[in-house]
Amino acid sequence: MFLHPARKVLITALCLCVGYSSVIPVTVGQKKTAPVEATPPPLREEFKFGDVDLEVLEQSDLLDAKLERDGLVLHDEKADAYVRRIGQALIPKGLELERVTWKFRVVRDPQANAFAMPNGSIYITTGLISLVDNESQLAAIIAHELTHVMRRHTYMHNRSNRKKYLTMNIMAAVGAYAPGGIVGAVIMVVTTVAPFIVAATMYGYGRDLEREADLKGVDMMISAEYSPEEMVNVMKLLDKDIEGENIRLFYNDHPSLDERIKYLSSYLGARADRVTQQMELNRERAAYFNEMQSLMRHDLQLAVNATRFRSAVYLAERLVDFHADSENLFWLAEAYRTLGPRAPQLTEKELTNSAMKEYAKKRLKRTLEEEERELLATADGRSNWERHQQKAEELYQRALNAENPVPVAHRGLGMLYEKLGRTNDAANEYQKYIELSPSAFDRERIQRRIETLRRN
Amino acid sequence: MSVTRSGKIRSLVLTLAMLPLAALSSQAHAQFIHPKIKSKETTIRTVVVLPAKVNIVRDSMKGPEGMAAESDELSGRVEKMVTEVLSKEKNVTTQNPPAAGQESQPNYNVAAFQSKFDDLLPKIMKKRSDVKTGRFSMGDEVLNLNLEKSTDAIVFIRGEGKKLTGGKTAFTLLVGGAPAYLTLRIGIVDARTGDVLVYTDPTFAGDPTTAVDRLRKALKDGLKKLPMVNSQ
Repeated sequence: MFLHPARKVLITALCLCVGYSSVIPVTVGQKKTAPVEATPPPLREEFKFGDVDLEVLEQSDLLDAKLERDGLVLHDEKADAYVRRIGQALIPKGLELERVTWKFRVVRDPQANAFAMPNGSIYITTGLISLVDNESQLAAIIAHELTHVMRRHTYMHNRSNRKKYLTMNIMAAVGAYAPGGIVGAVIMVVTTVAPFIVAATMYGYGRDLEREADLKGVDMMISAEYSPEEMVNVMKLLDKDIEGENIRLFYNDHPSLDERIKYLSSYLGARADRVTQQMELNRERAAYFNEMQSLMRHDLQLAVNATRFRSAVYLAERLVDFHADSENLFWLAEAYRTLGPRAPQLTEKELTNSAMKEYAKKRLKRTLEEEERELLATADGRSNWERHQQKAEELYQRALNAENPVPVAHRGLGMLYEKLGRTNDAANEYQKYIELSPSAFDRERIQRRIETLRRN
Repeated sequence: MSVTRSGKIRSLVLTLAMLPLAALSSQAHAQFIHPKIKSKETTIRTVVVLPAKVNIVRDSMKGPEGMAAESDELSGRVEKMVTEVLSKEKNVTTQNPPAAGQESQPNYNVAAFQSKFDDLLPKIMKKRSDVKTGRFSMGDEVLNLNLEKSTDAIVFIRGEGKKLTGGKTAFTLLVGGAPAYLTLRIGIVDARTGDVLVYTDPTFAGDPTTAVDRLRKALKDGLKKLPMVNSQ
């Protein structure tokens, strides 16, 4: 997804990280590989650093700093401590790795993702933390990423890529100065398309590493008393394509997650039979939501900002199911209000590869307002809009009638009424909001809206 | 006969190699101005320049390599130079962006707006001329940045470029391919309404890390159509 927010930094970072492809369903493949018997990661390894590896390491350190500087790293003491505790529990005791300092960080990105830097920085997005159901599932993701670092996957991947690029360049030179004819022309074409071919082989190479990370991750989970079955469950969760983004490219058009789930299930076998009390505790949903609720709300704001309205509805409904307090009700209302004329779920037809590609193209052309206008011109769009506005109004009212009501629900109502053309009601709700939250960060914006509404 | 065919292929290769250069030069001064600026309904007197995000890669025979440190340095230089051009050539005053520091919330706010611009940018690039019809806006959320009341506009800077290694330069001369270049994408957004007032994408061919004068010239040319503020 030629992508979203502040994502250029992330993408650059991810180019360095094998881990990126780990949790995104589209990147796993059908390539058949022999069954791998996973063994615990070695406590010491024989990896020898070359100049190329040191360059990658230096770039990783700089990217760590850049993510921080660009405001992409979340600073939430509770969430940081929680993720760090899981990470530390998974790292095999006594493990010594040259040039690795373990850091566990949360990235402010509503897309479900995780990646590992070779210097030991493990990043998990707020979108992923909000999507999983319990601590064990989060541990499964972290264990997978830890394996990428322990097994030096990034360095190996980078070395392999460099060889491939060199080969492509030599082929191009030979092609240009060949005696002419079809061979030269073919090589020229191949070179033009080279990035795709190179990417294809890279993805092929990556699949073995992903498999290794999955299987060794299972072993690490068992050692740390996390139920290994949750590795399979988290894969199933990641298969949920709420926004219709899992577009398959020509080199990975296959049911990748099924494959992954299959080999993991067969690897689990008797390993999943042993269940300890701690394993059961680590699977508790309520305990997890209790710890992560504040982060999940933060992620909802990010999801709305990133126009991921369907995800916002899905995640807010989970929060309200967990605890229907004023703030969670407010977030569900916000999600429905901003969902507007869109359907809350994509249809099967909309989830076909061609439909998703078409939508991705449209997204690059249309602004949000244009998309809404187009939808409102249809009967379905209008009916969705009416239903969602009603739902939002009801939820805002519930939020205001709940114990410890959040003033921001008045702002939400104001925005809703403004869109409905109820100018007086809108201005009154905005007024209540700024009276109850005199130091709100968006006070000026709301004040201006009141002035405009009262003028008209 | 085969020599003639080989010659033809070679000239085709050379033509293809020249295409990126031609494309770069033809786009070098594209700039689009909102009607509010043209009609002088809005005048940009004071701006806040948000941190530039310029990414460059080193293209070698073994593929592209990241240049994180150089990208940071170049981002700072571009930001400074945009400020300088706006001030010297257009008489526009620059204010400091919201303080980035220990507190998370201001950093998150700036990050949110940078992301919002990143979302809008591909749409602008798809049809840049629509800036002239006032089609693009970031909405009144820009007010949440809580800038000073006198701020008229916010400047967003993005860029991407490529530096070639010695080997790759020689290879490009022999075989063809894109030269070293830097493309900037600058959006100037109304600080009160969020409307995109100016969009320009100055581009030049050359090593982005060393071609300081070319960068300055590209910026001057890229902002040529922005009206100068009267000093009174």
